[in-house]
Order: sequence, then C-alpha cells, then structure tokens
Amino acid sequence: MTRMYIQHTNILRENLSRAEFCILSKQLRKSIKAFKNKIKLRMDEYDEMYGIEDDFEQQFADELEVMAEMDPFPGESPRIGKVSEFRNRKHTFEEALTSADSALTRPDTAAAPEREDDESLTPKAKKRKQDVAKKLHFHEDEDGGEIIPPSSPEEHQRSERTRSGFSLSLSPDRPVAAGTLSVLDISGLEVLQESPKRATTPRHALKRPPASGDFITVTDCTGNRVYLRKNHEQDQQTPDPRFFRNTQNALGLLTVPIEVLREQVSERRHRQLVEESQRLTELLNSGVDPELLVGEVTENTEDENVKACDESSASRLWVDRFAPQHYMELLSDDFTNRCLLKWLKLWDWVVFGRERKPCPPTAESRANSTGAQNQHQNQRFKTKSQITEEILEAELDQYKRPKLKVALLSGPPGLGKTTLAHIIAKHAGYNVVEINASDDRSAELFQKRIDMATQMKSVLGADEKPNCLIIDEIDGAPAAAISVLLATLNRKDSREGGDSTSNPLKKKKKKESVLLRPIICICNDLYTPALRPLRQQAFLLTFPPTQQSRLTQRLAEITRQQGMKADTGSLMALCEKTDNDIRACINTLQFLHGRGRRQLDQRVVNSMSIGLKDQNKGLFSVWQEIFQLPRIKRKRIGGDPFGVFEEAGLKDGSQRLQHIVHLASSSGEHEKLTQGLYDNFLSMKLKDPSLTGVCSGLDWLCFSDLVNECVFHGQNYSLMRYLPFLPAAFHHLFAANSVPRISYPNSHYEGLTKTQHTKNAVVAMLAEIPPSIRSRVCQNNLCLDVLSLLLELICPKLRPVNPQLYSMREKQQLCELIDTMINYNLTYRQERTAEGQYTYVLEPNIEDVVRFPGVPPRRQLTYQVKQLIARETELERMRRVERAQQKRNPQTETVEEVKEVKKPQAKKQTSRNHHQRLENIVKQTVVESKPETDFFGRAVAPKEKPSAHSATDEDGRPGGSRIGKAVGNSDVWFRFNEGVSNAVRRNVYIRELL
Amino acid sequence: MSLWVDKYRPTSLAKLDYHKEQANHLKSLVQCGDFPHLLVYGPSGAGKKTRIMCLLRELYGAGVEKLRIEHQSIVAPSKKKIEINAIASNYHLEVNPSDAGNSDRVVIQELIKTVAQSQQIQSSTQREFKVVLLTEVDRLTKDAQHVLRRTMEKYMGTCRLILCCNSTSKVISPIRSRCLAVRVPLPSTEEVCSVMMSVCKKEGLILPPELAKRIAEKSGRNLRKALLMCEACRVQQYPFSADQDIPETDWEVYLRETANAIVNQQSPQRLLEVRARLYELLTHCIPAEIIMKGLVCELLSNCDGHLKPEVAQMAAYYEHRLQLGSKAIYHLEAFVAKFMTIYKQFMEDGLDNFMF
Repeated sequence: MTRMYIQHTNILRENLSRAEFCILSKQLRKSIKAFKNKIKLRMDEYDEMYGIEDDFEQQFADELEVMAEMDPFPGESPRIGKVSEFRNRKHTFEEALTSADSALTRPDTAAAPEREDDESLTPKAKKRKQDVAKKLHFHEDEDGGEIIPPSSPEEHQRSERTRSGFSLSLSPDRPVAAGTLSVLDISGLEVLQESPKRATTPRHALKRPPASGDFITVTDCTGNRVYLRKNHEQDQQTPDPRFFRNTQNALGLLTVPIEVLREQVSERRHRQLVEESQRLTELLNSGVDPELLVGEVTENTEDENVKACDESSASRLWVDRFAPQHYMELLSDDFTNRCLLKWLKLWDWVVFGRERKPCPPTAESRANSTGAQNQHQNQRFKTKSQITEEILEAELDQYKRPKLKVALLSGPPGLGKTTLAHIIAKHAGYNVVEINASDDRSAELFQKRIDMATQMKSVLGADEKPNCLIIDEIDGAPAAAISVLLATLNRKDSREGGDSTSNPLKKKKKKESVLLRPIICICNDLYTPALRPLRQQAFLLTFPPTQQSRLTQRLAEITRQQGMKADTGSLMALCEKTDNDIRACINTLQFLHGRGRRQLDQRVVNSMSIGLKDQNKGLFSVWQEIFQLPRIKRKRIGGDPFGVFEEAGLKDGSQRLQHIVHLASSSGEHEKLTQGLYDNFLSMKLKDPSLTGVCSGLDWLCFSDLVNECVFHGQNYSLMRYLPFLPAAFHHLFAANSVPRISYPNSHYEGLTKTQHTKNAVVAMLAEIPPSIRSRVCQNNLCLDVLSLLLELICPKLRPVNPQLYSMREKQQLCELIDTMINYNLTYRQERTAEGQYTYVLEPNIEDVVRFPGVPPRRQLTYQVKQLIARETELERMRRVERAQQKRNPQTETVEEVKEVKKPQAKKQTSRNHHQRLENIVKQTVVESKPETDFFGRAVAPKEKPSAHSATDEDGRPGGSRIGKAVGNSDVWFRFNEGVSNAVRRNVYIRELL
Repeated sequence: MSLWVDKYRPTSLAKLDYHKEQANHLKSLVQCGDFPHLLVYGPSGAGKKTRIMCLLRELYGAGVEKLRIEHQSIVAPSKKKIEINAIASNYHLEVNPSDAGNSDRVVIQELIKTVAQSQQIQSSTQREFKVVLLTEVDRLTKDAQHVLRRTMEKYMGTCRLILCCNSTSKVISPIRSRCLAVRVPLPSTEEVCSVMMSVCKKEGLILPPELAKRIAEKSGRNLRKALLMCEACRVQQYPFSADQDIPETDWEVYLRETANAIVNQQSPQRLLEVRARLYELLTHCIPAEIIMKGLVCELLSNCDGHLKPEVAQMAAYYEHRLQLGSKAIYHLEAFVAKFMTIYKQFMEDGLDNFMF
C-alpha cells in the first residue's frame, strides 16, 4: 500500500495543482476521533477502491510531515518512510506459504512478489485483505476531501485532528492483532463486501509513551497528546526500491492501464473527499463536543484500550476540558478582551499586509472588533478605559506597528489571562508560541526563543499562520531576560532602519520572514521590580475580577454536564469563597465530583476547606481585617434567606477566628505582621477603661516573642504553628466596626538604626582610648555611668577671654581638660550648620549617645572656648605623636642631649622675656611637664612637680615666679616679631620653640 | 590620667581602700605563686577590675601595667571574620568575648586556646602560666560557656582564667564550680565617702562631708560614678557647698520622668508615649534589665504600700520573660501596662471607698 501511495502521490503531483497538494498534506493531520468515526461509517464502500493505496499511506505517513509543502521526490520518498512494513512483510510471508502464485515479499529477498502485488489484483489477495487496511484507506480519502474548502483557522484544527487520526492507524500494533488474517492489500479496486472483525482494530495511538521502542509524539489542537510507536527502519527501507521498480515496469496484466485506473481512483476519491469534508464541517459546526468523539473512539477499541481511554479522560482536568474554545466563550471581562483583540489587530498591517493570500479569520475577527467598537461607542467608559482606547486608536509607527509593541496582562491567578491570550491570538489568525516559567529563561535562551518565535515561521506544519509569542508568568523571569526582551523591542527599530539602506542581504531575509510579531506578556504582579522598564513600553491591561454571575452560570453548565446537582446559591458561595477564581472553582468542583459527591449545597461549600486558596494578601489588608469586624452585608451574600442568622452566628464565633488564623498563616510574614499589630493596636479605639485588653494583648506579644525565640534559637520549628494565633487574639481583643487607620510599622527598624548609630559612636570612641583606661571601661559602663558625667566634666567654666589672661588655676584646669579629652579620644570638630554658621561638635559625637529629648539641655561651652580647646587638643596630640616617634627611633646621643639642653632653655627664655605675650607657649610647657616626667629624665620632672605643688599651695598665681625661676637658668631666648616682613624666612618647628 | 577615677586608682593590693580583709585573702592566695581559676563578680563600680589588676601586679610585678592593644582577627568556621580587640601585657590577656556577639564561641575556642597552648619560654623569671582575663562573662552565650568549661580544665598547666562578671546567675554552674568565686560587694556609703575625701585631699580640695554623703547616696555606692560625680561637682562649682546640685546621668533623669508619666495617667495614649520613651532609652544602649530595675524602683516609691508586693512580683515575672525573649520592648511595655491596670484599679477602689 505504501508503494501505491507513492505512486498515488506521483499522480497527485500530476493531477492536482501544487496548492491542492499542500492542502492534502495538511489534511493528514486530522483528529483520531473524526477519523475513526468515518472509518466506521464508510468502511464498506471505500475498501476496494482505495485499498491499494492504504499501504502507501501507511508507509508514507511520516514522510508527509517532512515533505510538507514541497514536491515529493519519487525516488526519495519511499526511503524516508519510517512506518514499518512489518505487517506487510509478515503477510506476504504467510501468503507465500499458503499460495503458490505469489512469491514471498521478504524484504531481504526478491522483488518479484512486489510486482505481483502491485499490478496483478489476484482474488486471493482480495480475500485476505483486511478491513484494517480499508480503514486506513478511508482516512486518506477523508483527508483529501476535506482539503478542498478554504482554510480557515477552524479548518486547520480539523485537519490536525484528521492527521492524528491517520497516524493512529499507522501504529504497528495492528499487524499483531490482525495477524494471520491480513495479507498484502493488493486488490486495489475490488470491493469487499464483508467487513469482518472490525472490532479487532487495536489501539495504535498510546496515551502514554510506549515502554519500549521509539515513538513519535503527536499533539492535536486541543492539546491532547498521543504517542505513536515506530518500527525499525530496515523493514521499511527494503521494500521501497522494489516497489519502484515494479511501478515502472508494468507487466500489463491489467486490461486497463494502471495509470488510467489511478486517475479514476483519484477522481472518485476527490469527490468522496469533498462530500466527506462537507459532512465533517457540518458535524463540527453543529457543536458536537470533541468528548463525544473521543467516547466513540473508545467504544471502538478493545477492552484494554477502552479502559485506558477512560482513565485518561477522567484524569483530564476539567479546567482544560471546559476551557473556552472561542472568543465568545470567554468569561473574562469583555472590555479587556476587546482591548487585547484590538491591540492584536493593530498588527495586521505588518503581519498580514504582505501575506500572499488574505487570511479569512482576520476579516472575521475584524468584523468582530468593529462590532465591539460600535458597542463601545454606545457605552460610556471610565477615563482609564478611555486612555486605553486612545492607545488603541493611536497611529502606527513608521513600520506600521502599533506604538506599544508588547501587551502586558496582569491580574491575580485564575482570571483566565492565559486562556484569553491564547484564544485571542488564535482568533486573530496567529500561531501561538508560548514561553512560560517552566522553560529555561536565562538571558541567552530567552533571546534565542524570542528570535525564533518572532522571526521564523513553521515551514513543515503547513500552517502558514504567523507566530504570536505569549510570554506567560513573566514576573518570575530574571531581570536579564526582561532586558533582553526590551532590547529586542528597541533593537528592531534601529536594525530595520539600518538594514533597509545598507544591508541588502538581510533585507531579503527580512522580506521572507516577516520580522515583526506581536508579543503578549502575562504576569500576576505588575509591580515586580524587574518589570519596571517593561511597564513603560507595554500596553498595560489589568484584569478586573471575573463577574460572579457569569462564573456561576458557567459553573452551572459544567455541573449539569457532569451530572452534578448544584443550586445557584451554593455555586455563588463557592465563587465567593475562591474570590471568583475560575480555576479554583472548577478544580474544587472536580475534586468533589471525583470524591463521588453528586450534590453540592451551601453547607458543603461552607464547611469545605479545600476551595480556599493560599492567597497572599497585602500586609495592610491583613492588618485591616484583623482590626476590623466583618460587615454584616458581606455575610449575607450567598446565604439563603433563612440561614442568615445562623451563619452570622457562626461567623461571629469560630469562623471569624478561623478566618484570621488562616489569613495570618497564609501571609507568611509573621514578623512584619506582629510588628504592625504592635505598632497600631494602641491607636485603635479601645473600649476597656481598665486596660485589661491592652494587658492581655501585650501578654500575647510577649508570648509570641518567647515562641519566636524558641523557634529561631532552639530550631524548634514545630512551635511555629502557634504564631498565627496572635493575630487572632488581637482580632478578638481589638477589632472594631470602624475602619482602622493603620500606619506602616517602622518603630522597630528606627530603633535598630538608632541603636546602631549609638553603638558606632561608642565603639569609635573606645577604639582610640589608651589601653590603661580602656581596660577599665567597657561599653556598658560608658553608656551607663561615664559618658554623661564626662560631658559635664569637659565643660568647665572657662572665661571667654584670651587664654593668656587665664589665672594659673584656670590654666591648669584647661590642661586637665585637654588631657581628659585626649585620653578619652574626644575632640571638637568644626562643622558648618545648614544656616551657614560654624559650630564645634564633639567627635565622636557622644552627645547623641547621652542626650535624651525632653531632658533640659546641659550647659554648652561657647564657640570661642571650643575653638581654643580644639586647637590646644590638636597641638597636644601633635606633641605626643612627635614624642612617641622620638622615643621609638632615638637619634644619636649627642643630638638628643643638645636638644634636651636647648629645649628647656628656649622655653625658659621665651617665657621670661615674653611672659605676657606668649602666654600660650608657657601654658604648653606646663601642659607638657606633667606627662613628660619619664621623657625629660629625672632631672626635670622632680624639680617641676614640687614647684607646681608649692605654687598652687601658696597662692592663686604663682606661675610667673615658677617659670621665671625655671627660665632663669638659660641663656638662650627667642623672640618672634609678628608682622615684620623683612625677617629672614625659615621653617620653624614647634619642637624648636619648646 | 586626668580623671580622678583613673588617676587615683590603687595599683596594689595593699593600697586598696576597702574590703581590706578580702585584699589580704587575695594576697595570701597568690603568695605561693599560683592560684586557681577565679570568678570575680559583683555590681558595677565595686572595684572588681581594680582588684584583679592589683592581684596580677602582686603576681607578676609592675610588668603587667605595660599594656598594649592587640587587634585579633579570627576566622570562624563559617568563613566569617571576627575582629576583636584584646588588651594585653606580657603576662596576661584581657578579652571581652561578648564583643563578638553570637560568634563568641569561636573567640573562646581560638583565642584562648592559642594563648593557653603556648608554653612560657623563660619559666625561671616568669610564672609558668599566663592569665586570661575574660570580662562580662555573664553576657557570653551558652555555647561559649560550654566551650569554656573544657578549656579551663585542659589547659590548667599553662593558663589561668579570671572571669569577671556582674552576676553569677547567668554563668552556667559547671563553670562556677570550676572557679574560686570572689564576690566584690559595693563599698558602703562611708567607704565611698572616705575614698572621695582622700581623693579630694590629694587634689587639694576641701569636700564637705555632707556633700560627700549625698554624692555617695546618689551614686548608689557605685564608686566610679561617685568619683565622676564628685569631679563634675568640682567642675561646676568650687569651693564646694554642702547643698550644691549634683549632676546626674541623663538616662536616670529620663527614666524618672517616664515613671512619673506612668503614675500620672493610665491610658492607651499614655502607654504610647511611654513606649516612645522606652524605645528612646533602649536606643541609647541602656540595657533592658537596668530600665526595668530603674522603673520598678521609681514606681515602687510612688505607689501605695499595698500595691508594692504585687508590683514587685509582676516586675520579677516580666523581667524573667524579658531574659527569655528577644524583644525587650514588648516585655517592658507589658509590665508598664500591667502596672497601669493595677494602679488604676487601686485608685478607683480607693476613690469608691472614700466616697462611700
């Protein structure tokens, strides 16, 4: 038969126009069910006529896919055919055993029998021929018939169906079952009267991949997938060449040349196909559910198959089974649907404008859209929708594309976004290419897939429909992938512009496959950060919730169809429970159905916890629900009139509690939730004057804190289940009828940052404190005891005069102050305030650590004093550093000595002669004298100390005499006249002055 | 050494001003050149660290006073780098492991082990062991304390531990049993006074005994605080007068005002204000226990005698929970709310009784 088919194709090539042939090959993809139906009906008539070709068809089936629209090459085609000849071979073998006339057609052996098969229609062969073969035949006929009418999207579907049906018959199971009965179907034109053992047709399309061996997957338009087993290629290949020889060297055994016969056959066949297709279209148009067809198919098959099919149909989700197939069946909001369709229609110019043949569906949907437009003109829309309309009516850009090249559908799950996108794309005549979260969406792969979908088109599938890319669940895609998408959008512009002028090669390419295709993105959360750039360039469509009435109606239809009893009230309750989520409703129904429930009433719906979605509400709405009592109105919805009170009672009690617990546990952010409750509960309207409610609320908070501690520090996660009861308790305690005003909880966070700030200041201060003091103060001590008093200590009462005018006591006070400041690593830093004034602030700013709001501010030093202190501190620090350096790498003895001699002398000189003017320096010497005891050597230190003591003991201002005494020993003094410009300039170091 | 606290700190056991008997005990303890692990505990400002340093000086001589700061960085098994500062002399090492927060276990494991495992080279001139001084042991996590107990035994030959803490209640009992516990109580008011007097005398100032007593009382016998207050007084006004203002720490003032606010009014709004104030205290690094304690003291002094036991019991209850939990603010506020309820109830009852 295969061979015959090839011949047939040859003939077809001759007879039919090229276009027709293409259509023919398309037709091969028709649904199993339709096909089998027809088998049953027409078996008897067609057997004889097309029997010859059956085998060919079989053999050739796969090749058809490959060949698609191209002219099949006679030489090539037989070799490519993948479907095995196994059955054929077997039969021929048997035949050979039984009858002497025909030689064996062993694949390995001679080609002679083949000849016989083809050309001589022997009676024996006729008898042996089986109905299976006829059936096969049949399909082909149908296919041919159906091809002829113009291709509309619906017909494409149908053709797909038939095709799959065809492939079913190819599957190798059959030979086994048919076994002994079937021989080579040689008798092309003979009519077989009896149709014996029709029931024996085994299952060829498997619902699951076969356990062993190769298989091909075939998916029909409804998304059903079947698997076809492949046989070994050896089997197929061998017979083919033989066949060819046979066809060419006709033996002339027939009275009428085989060509003539074939022409007749094809003519008749053509007629039959036309009839058949008409019949089929009628069938489809009359709206027979595909399920029915499936049912019939299962009837036909053997017990085993019946079972399998039943299982499979039962396991199919209702959501899929009852998914809308047409635009008119959509449940989602009409306006949204229309907008998306209109947007898609904006692409028509680009996509279909240069199309060779006009696309009928386009026209159809155009009519639809204009209808919608009229409708919309009659209605008054909100401003937002008007904006959307404006976008849709805006002009196309220079490439005849709409301004916004991507549509972005957003809305919570279960509204039918994906369904809508698919149906509309199909409706507008596109071939849908979907990328969803289950695909790898790394940037490179994403790019590749986008390019594939938008720039290429399928050549094999025989659907010439352009692609429409649907990117589902885009909010989960990585940001890189989205930027790739954006780049694709924007890149196209420039490249196209550049190409048209510069690169002829690419231009050609572009002409071939239309570059621009619509892209529809679907997401749940429109405000995902990754989507931000896309939002600006996309045509945004937000899905409003499904209308309850429509959903209920649809649910009622489904229940009716499935033999469930459900009243409208309970269905509405179900809708309400799932927040009008179509998917959840249908799934719940199926679940109940699967459990054997055939009756759905209010009580079941209410008591059932399965329909509840694990929904994630915003924190604010959760808080709101916790602090607000449910309204009476809400309770009444969906409740039958007499059940209201009962239900209300329920809601007040355990149900409300359950609701809050559910809400809290599904929100997942317990920490935030608790914090929000804590921050807000005191601002609620509290009824109890004795604060007992507040107390127990806080006790709950304490409890949950302990539980949290246990959970996260003891890893005792089983306790986590008690956490959601805190919101429930709060609801019980604080819920009120009025709408709560809730602010976002940031007290905890603020507290944390402030604490960190404080700690940083303390740590910075601690870092530089010398170890001897450091060992005595730790952070706690500092905060509690030291710092506050230290701030008092470093604010002595200093007269705001030149420090040179200070009394000895004051000077000493200043020295001590500076020493303290250095020891505790404090200094004043000049800062400019916002008003432009300069102030000195402590660095590190421990005033922030100590100061509390509301406590009377402590006395501050004046600006001048701070300036003075800052300068002195700086000087002292420099001196200490210098000293430390000297200590570390001492110079040669002599230099050191000279210096040591000189320095005190210099000091003394200056102080003697310029006691009044150089007060500052004097003070420095005093400052230095204390810490320097170890450095200056024993000679200086003991002398000075007693003197200082005695000085302080004697009277208020002994400094002069003391210094005078010390200074009197030296011969060197130094004078610096300020403002004299004729002086020799040279660098003078502090150490030289000291 | 400019602050009086630092300047006049005694450096040898013999020079200690109070608890002289204890000082003698310590002296005799180290006289043989060796001593067991010590657990020195006592309230803040009692002179624990001073005593420890005196002890070390007694043991090693003046060398222990040459201190330096060592910056140690330890890599935890989780590859986390922990920076910790240790104060060290040639003979001892002082660490505050709780600076490392939750990773204090690693600090104990690594830092102390490295010290303890190294043998002293010149054992003739030095002691055979080094001393590791751990401060704020009560803030160590339980993990770290458990690490410590084995370390203490294992490296007894090369190292002695001196643990310093405020309260032993947070030190696990295995550690307590391995140490000789030395309690350093607060000096009495008289002792504080005498110390202040002697310091003032060394400074050449005249401190009126009344003022000294007032300072001692105000400081809560915390010697550090008393000396700082005394010095602050001096900065404010000299010559001293017996009735001059004694500067206080700001947080104490703030806490007192908070307590007054609680007593004055009991309403959710007031509770919100109190919450803000409590947050303020916490963010200024005032430990929650101290806040609780201060609050209770102030509240107790403000409420009727009948209420006192109940309030005290509540305070204990909530403080216990506070220690167990992690969010101090909840527990503090819960205590405040509870007090408000009790107090309000009491006042209303009192009013009723008065009227009828």
